[in-house]
Amino acid sequence: MNDSTGNKFTDLHSKMGLRDTFSVGSSGLRTRRVRAALSVVGITIGIAALVGILGLSQSGSADLLKDLDALGTNLLTVQAGDGFRSQQASLSSDATAMIDRIGPVYEVSATTKIAGGVFLNDLIQDGRTKGITIVAADLNLLRAQRGSLKSGKFLDEMTSQFPFVVLGSVAAERLGIRNTSGKQKIWLKKKWFMVIGIMEPLPLAADLDRSAIVGYPAAGKFLEFEEPPEIIYVRAYPEHIHDVRSVMPATVNPENPEEVQVGRASDVLEARIAASDTFLNLFVGLGAVALLVGTIGIANVMVIAVIERRNEIGLRRALGATKFHIASQFLTESLLLSVLGGITGVVVGISVTAIYAISRDWSIVIPVYVIAGGILSSILIGGIAGFYPAMRAANMSPTEALRTK
Amino acid sequence: MNLENRSPQFALELKEISKVYPGPPVVQALSDVSMSVTHGELLGIIGSSGSGKTTLLHIMGTLSIPSSGSMFIDGRNVVGMSDKQLSGVRSQQIGFVFQEFFLLPGFSALENVANGLLYSGIPSDERMERAFEMLGRVGLGHRGNHLPNELSGGEQQRVAVARALVHNPSFVLADEPTGNLDSENTASLMELFSTLNEEGTTVILITHDLEVAKSAQRKITLRDGRVDSDLSR
Repeated sequence: MNDSTGNKFTDLHSKMGLRDTFSVGSSGLRTRRVRAALSVVGITIGIAALVGILGLSQSGSADLLKDLDALGTNLLTVQAGDGFRSQQASLSSDATAMIDRIGPVYEVSATTKIAGGVFLNDLIQDGRTKGITIVAADLNLLRAQRGSLKSGKFLDEMTSQFPFVVLGSVAAERLGIRNTSGKQKIWLKKKWFMVIGIMEPLPLAADLDRSAIVGYPAAGKFLEFEEPPEIIYVRAYPEHIHDVRSVMPATVNPENPEEVQVGRASDVLEARIAASDTFLNLFVGLGAVALLVGTIGIANVMVIAVIERRNEIGLRRALGATKFHIASQFLTESLLLSVLGGITGVVVGISVTAIYAISRDWSIVIPVYVIAGGILSSILIGGIAGFYPAMRAANMSPTEALRTK
Repeated sequence: MNLENRSPQFALELKEISKVYPGPPVVQALSDVSMSVTHGELLGIIGSSGSGKTTLLHIMGTLSIPSSGSMFIDGRNVVGMSDKQLSGVRSQQIGFVFQEFFLLPGFSALENVANGLLYSGIPSDERMERAFEMLGRVGLGHRGNHLPNELSGGEQQRVAVARALVHNPSFVLADEPTGNLDSENTASLMELFSTLNEEGTTVILITHDLEVAKSAQRKITLRDGRVDSDLSR
């Protein structure tokens, strides 16, 4: 075969570099800015929701974990459970002393509920107790709880002997008492008690937040109260916490150890972290739905773009674009759209997380995997949403595409 | 499949080209059309609507594949080439001018001309340089930065002509190029084609307008998908 002319033709290929592909792919967006902006709203919302939710939950969990760290996981609560005997089980009055004898235990603090109402003054009707309970407590309660005071001071050797009371944070709020400077008295089981302290919330014993705490001696003298401990808070060295827990029932009640209930206060916090994870899954699911809708939105806009720009496709084919070039153009456009939406979503998500976390005094935690995941999923979405329109554009016959009517 | 190449004596050579649209109804758009276009010619292909001229244009432009026959561009048989190869042929050897101009909105006149080189693998700087030069040749060197909607119809078609010529093709296919122009712009565009032709460009003008075809040295008339007459001046 005479191929004297063949050499001239061997390099008859259409070529387009990456930069040109990018530039051509972005041209459709540059000339239709409003539509481009509107079509990425779905993706933006979806990604923002996911980043925000994951960021917030991480920030929130980080806060709970920080609390947990500060409060310790080595606080046990000991109380009487239901025994086999018919009468209500209770702890013995020397339970505190017995627990104190367990080696790794370094703090033991007993509390007992006292029946009776707590009122701001003696004029209020009996029924309106505002859900505040009277609790007699040992002097080291605050230490055992690793709690702190918002105002005033806790009970000591002296004040526990007299009608003085320390309020839990919720109890103080319900009574409308903000500080202890005003020598505020409250009507407690028909006796006047002076408020000397208000506690910060105790995350490990939320019950105590709603209580008015008096000393055992004062309870005996002024409230005619002589009951054994009801709940005993025990701090033990963390490395021995399981051992302590297992010997606790037999120590407290050697005859009927099954009547003793031992719990770990921090389990509540851990349950809260687990619960927030459950909500997290729910919201991640909702975010995923938003993304799906966003994907369909972009696919829809791209299909319309392909139909509208039929002539442009025809022209480009006439100028020498291959099917691959046409597909690349529309796929690039779709990818740019969704990545634009993804980046905006990540920025919005981070901002929302930051604003919310700051408003709640949380530390801002946005895991890198959330940001990377947001961008990557938007790339994936662009690919999925753009695939069909790109194929449709590429497979359009050039003569069909050049028709004007 | 006949991939035999011939000597590039002709810019374009058609041998017994037929095109049947399978339908239904089955339409025989072209029947045994043979013609050859020498380099430097200004050829007018004239036919009323339904004569098959649009189909012929599409086949000449490798946008459509003939049902039978062979076609040589610069001596190379293009029938049987893959879609990708045909794209390559278009990107380097064929220039198109359409009735509707088909300038891309949002791109300046200069960029639109440079788009003629977009798929040829030439770097961006050189594309712009050659586009600028070409725009000068059609008399629009000063309008390069204007967007299509800022140009008159006549100017837009000149930009399209520049785009069709910027890659120095073997021939330019102009499909009713004056169809959307007034008589003044029509005359001016035909003058441009004549000038370009005198400078060596091979132009194939497809039109139903006998007035427009006047400037062609050779006229081929199509009727019912066949060559009715082939007259040289």
